[in-house]
Amino acid sequence: MQQDAVLRAENLCKSYVKGVLVNDHVSLSLSRGEIFGLLGPNGAGKTTFVKQVIGLAKPDSGRIAIDGVDVVANPGYARQSCSFQAQVQAPISGLSTLEAIELAGQIRGGRYREVHERAMGLIDRLELGEWRKTMGATISGGVRRLVAFCMAAVVPGRVVILDEPTNDVDPLRRRAIWQEVQGLARDGSAVLLVTHNILEAERVVDRLAIVDSGRVISTGTPASLKESAGDAMRLELTLEPNAAAPGFPDFLRHPVVINRRILGEVSLSHVSAAIAWARALKEGGAIEEFLLGPATMEDFYIRMVRNPNGTGVKGKSQ
Amino acid sequence: MTARHLRSYWLMLKWVFLSNRTWLSLNIAVQVMIAVGFIYGISFFYPSITPETAKYLTAGAPTIILITVGLVMAPQMVASMRTEGTFDYVWSLPVPRMVYIAADATNLFGTTLPGAILAVVLGASYFHFNLSLSPLAIPAVIMISLGSTFMGYSMAFAVPKPMLAQVLTQIIIFAVMLFSPIMYPAEQLPGWLRAVHQVLPVQYMADLLRGTLTDLEVNLGLAFGVVGAWFAAGFACTWLLVHRRQ
Repeated sequence: MQQDAVLRAENLCKSYVKGVLVNDHVSLSLSRGEIFGLLGPNGAGKTTFVKQVIGLAKPDSGRIAIDGVDVVANPGYARQSCSFQAQVQAPISGLSTLEAIELAGQIRGGRYREVHERAMGLIDRLELGEWRKTMGATISGGVRRLVAFCMAAVVPGRVVILDEPTNDVDPLRRRAIWQEVQGLARDGSAVLLVTHNILEAERVVDRLAIVDSGRVISTGTPASLKESAGDAMRLELTLEPNAAAPGFPDFLRHPVVINRRILGEVSLSHVSAAIAWARALKEGGAIEEFLLGPATMEDFYIRMVRNPNGTGVKGKSQ
Repeated sequence: MTARHLRSYWLMLKWVFLSNRTWLSLNIAVQVMIAVGFIYGISFFYPSITPETAKYLTAGAPTIILITVGLVMAPQMVASMRTEGTFDYVWSLPVPRMVYIAADATNLFGTTLPGAILAVVLGASYFHFNLSLSPLAIPAVIMISLGSTFMGYSMAFAVPKPMLAQVLTQIIIFAVMLFSPIMYPAEQLPGWLRAVHQVLPVQYMADLLRGTLTDLEVNLGLAFGVVGAWFAAGFACTWLLVHRRQ
């Protein structure tokens, strides 16, 4: 763990029902200017972790410190230090987009003039101008989420916590959000990003942790985690509609079936055999197409996490 | 209270007011209709209105309006916020939780006031009697409204499922309107119900307005004491419940 951590959680345990740990000895730390991704399947305990940081939930045991201050004992310090975009929609039905962002900024301690300027900048960069005076009740879920992001970003805390910030947001504005997130980190905030979107997270985070069943099963930079998969290439097959999955050859490692997609890893020495096998399946009408390429973060993630829709083989924990 | 708390209170008040402005006018219109309904409508129950009945009705109508907003509207709003998960956002703001509660209670109080005042003015003019206004009416109104509101918050935060709060409010409104000595003297109730009302705050809330708006004989000291105790209990319960962490 880094010595200069802004946020540090140590051995955090939390259960809502006795005996069922939602967070199981979670230890994480974030530094100033760092974007840290928290990835994991639904119910992995990501939001529970965030709720404990912000003081909405109390850990059963363990420690959370922001700037060295114990925020389990002093949740007010956490609220002062963290700006937060919750997974649920922000309560802005009766407020216009601009009012909501400005009020959030002022409540976070900003002066009106500066808050107004920053709010207008965010509205401009995220292309929200047409909804500037529109009431929250009448805007779409995606725009509402963008407004909630602006409310967290307008006067950012030393820690900015974003729980699924790009859900329901269109691809162009997603890109704009990630630019803003990088800007927040450049300005010195530590950003904790909770997301399911591995492909997007991979491009933006400095480090990440994969959480499953309440435990941190892997931590590192995206590159180091991918490297740990060795020389693997990824083979992706798309089954013909209604076709059954074929039997898997031995060289296809960690095969996972997700609806019509089959994902697996192939070592460099088996690339030719893999291409021949995939071609034969395509010619035999079993698959629509196949793709062979370098392994991605998604491959590593799927290998690490049990897939409820597929037949994944869980990898070894680090 | 520090300047920072006052600034937070002002901003949260603005937040709550702006958030509710779309239905604020509708809500005030409903309060006014209730006021008119209680003064004109309830008088049809009586073959003849004696001066005493007129005073009971005139002091009772605003009491019911103040109690209903606190014990029914406040918990319903909290229940709907709990269902939508709104408190996850509100409680994450750098504002003490009781400052938000104070802003919300202030907003509800402001919403109640026009209907409550109108009921008193209408009653006095419709039944042709002179009000005996006391300056103590101001603390009385504040204590009835905020006492009911804090009891309403306590109920809404204490019940495990928000839907249960919605059901409870229906029962409360029924009990307050029909089985409470607000529009009539307690002597008209059966003995057991009279005994129950010896400890509940409702009768004393009605007494506060009877004693500060009309010349009806009431024990104002006892009424302030009992309503004050319930106010303090409601405030303490609300404080404890909003500071609970999951």
